[in-house]
Amino acid sequence: MCMISVDVVLSINMSPRENRRQTRNQIRGPHSALTDFLAANNISAAQIRDDHQRRLRDAERQTTGEVLPSQSEDGSRESPGDSSEQSKKRRRNEATTLAKIKQSKEFARRKARRTDPKNDDDLIAREMMCERSRPVPGQLDNCEICSKRFTVTPYSKTGYNGGLLCTRCSKSMKDDAKMAQAKKQGARISRRQNQSNLLDGVAQQGALSLVEMCIKKVADNINDIEEFGDLPSQLLRRLSQILSKRRALDPRTLNLFLRPELDTIDIYDSAKLETHDFQKIFTSMPALVNVNLRFAGQIKDSVFEYMLGRELKIKRLQLDATNLVSDSYWRRLFKILGPQLEILKLSNLDFSLNDETVKVMCGCCTTLRRLKLNQCWKIGDDSLQALSSLNSLEHLSLDLTRETKNESILEVVSSIGPRLRTLSLEGFPNADDELLQVIHHSCDSLRKLRLSNNSVCTDKGFRRLFTGWSNPSLEFVDFSSMRDLDNSDLDSPEGVIGLASEGFVSLMEHSGTTIRKLNISSCRHISRDAFEHVFSGGKIYPNLRELDISFHTVMDDYLIGKILQCCPAIKKLVAFACFNVRDVRIPAGVALIGGLKAQGTIVFEGTS
Amino acid sequence: MASQPSQSEYVTLVSGDGFEYVIPRSTACVSGTIRRMLEPSSQFSEAITGRCVLENISGVVLEKVCEYFCFNEKNKKQMNVPDMDIPPELCLELLMAADYLDT
Repeated sequence: MCMISVDVVLSINMSPRENRRQTRNQIRGPHSALTDFLAANNISAAQIRDDHQRRLRDAERQTTGEVLPSQSEDGSRESPGDSSEQSKKRRRNEATTLAKIKQSKEFARRKARRTDPKNDDDLIAREMMCERSRPVPGQLDNCEICSKRFTVTPYSKTGYNGGLLCTRCSKSMKDDAKMAQAKKQGARISRRQNQSNLLDGVAQQGALSLVEMCIKKVADNINDIEEFGDLPSQLLRRLSQILSKRRALDPRTLNLFLRPELDTIDIYDSAKLETHDFQKIFTSMPALVNVNLRFAGQIKDSVFEYMLGRELKIKRLQLDATNLVSDSYWRRLFKILGPQLEILKLSNLDFSLNDETVKVMCGCCTTLRRLKLNQCWKIGDDSLQALSSLNSLEHLSLDLTRETKNESILEVVSSIGPRLRTLSLEGFPNADDELLQVIHHSCDSLRKLRLSNNSVCTDKGFRRLFTGWSNPSLEFVDFSSMRDLDNSDLDSPEGVIGLASEGFVSLMEHSGTTIRKLNISSCRHISRDAFEHVFSGGKIYPNLRELDISFHTVMDDYLIGKILQCCPAIKKLVAFACFNVRDVRIPAGVALIGGLKAQGTIVFEGTS
Repeated sequence: MASQPSQSEYVTLVSGDGFEYVIPRSTACVSGTIRRMLEPSSQFSEAITGRCVLENISGVVLEKVCEYFCFNEKNKKQMNVPDMDIPPELCLELLMAADYLDT
């Protein structure tokens, strides 16, 4: 019996036919299933062989018959020859297997993956051969790491020395690999992230500030944070911005921002907050002075009622998309809070805030310094008339959706213009050169001027505005989309419509020294000559940091180079649809946004 | 500033619980607070001894801060620098420290 088993053990290197005869199980590759079977039953081939040899020796020692010694003699005589033949055979087999392995694709793949020059072909091939003779799924093996016995599955991993691992060790190894991969990814910002940063105008050299890094990390782990401790409010604000952008501001995270000692709440995305969350804000922050709630769709009359009942000292109020509040409650709000309000910004109101309410507002908010009404659908001519009475106003931003008469806005600008430092008018399709004229005469302390989306004002009007204007030079100018929609009448007797060459040149002559931000996108009648004149050698615009020249088809690599020369402080250059900007060299630290090729936004070292 | 002969090339930062970190002056001056502490014209004791005691920062946090100083120095001229690895349990404390250090 034991003889048979020894034979079987030795049959590992026998021909497959013999194997098949002796074993019932199927055979895979160069090793027999019986070996596995034996291994599975914890029978060691080496031990059996040792036992067998010991028995043979014992038998030899106590020879009783003649047949047995002769047999054993036969065996001993034959076995060396047999084993040498066998080992030759084995070596031959091995050589062919190795050769086969070396031709396989997997081998090439492995070789390519390895960089270590010490690993020669033989070593790799041998390794693979060992792997091939591993137990197949369903069989048992000892884990390489914990030496536990386990059933091999298709998911069993290979250990560092080529052996198989049990389920638990496989899992932990997989986790390790995942961690390593995650770290590897973290080592380089992805291209997508790069582009995203560029679009935000971030083309910063070197690492982020530690504060910014930590804030990002805090935002990443917002769900594990129970309270912020006494973080200063500017950091809270930044956190709120990041969390809002990630849409992670919900009732739970809101609690982190509610601190009774603070006077400011900035929630940039309140879309996930319910009515009672807003009430909680006003309950838990009795010292509120600055309130900024955007996308606050769930603010209702009841919230206003509650807020007004708390007798808060609100001075700055910014509400966005509060469309469930009725006009009567807006009026109550203005009547009660109006006298103390200094800054009021309302946007995206399509349901309420009609002309009557705006009149009440203008009557009550007598100390208002800053007013912004963006996309309030019900505001019309009557509201504009009422605005003319706001004598304390220093900053006015209007973005209307309803069409208004030119006279209305003229009246506003002429009456409150002298005090204004900011004038931003969007959505005034009927405004014409007369408005520019009124600005020229009335405003003399503007720092920021925005007129956009209009195709009535003419180039001459702009030239007259900037020629001999008593206003000091501007810092922020936005004349985007001041252009004629029709290309045909460039040579009309009234001159070119929109901000064109003359207007642009006079603008830069007036404000070039202080201008920080300039947007002239889509002012497509500005000629190449005008650009060359404005950005010619020797002219320096020392403070210009952001420039938007989108949709200027005359813009090309040469002009961009000139712009970069003339604006040493520039950080952000927006050039969408400038089809002649191809291979411009952008200095480090400048973000060129909207280049033709994604590659074009790669930032080069050194300035030209 | 660092080129002045009277100033040593290295400065010592001491945490509230007594850990000391010796780092190059230029890297430490990334922090506005430390830079102002070490400003030679200020005649602060920190500027004279080159030793800043940061009472309200613990050793663990200060170690991370110093790591950032070196990280920042290493990545000074590079674009698209990834963020430094910050353990989540440390980030709030580190944020407070970073805000204090004006980093």
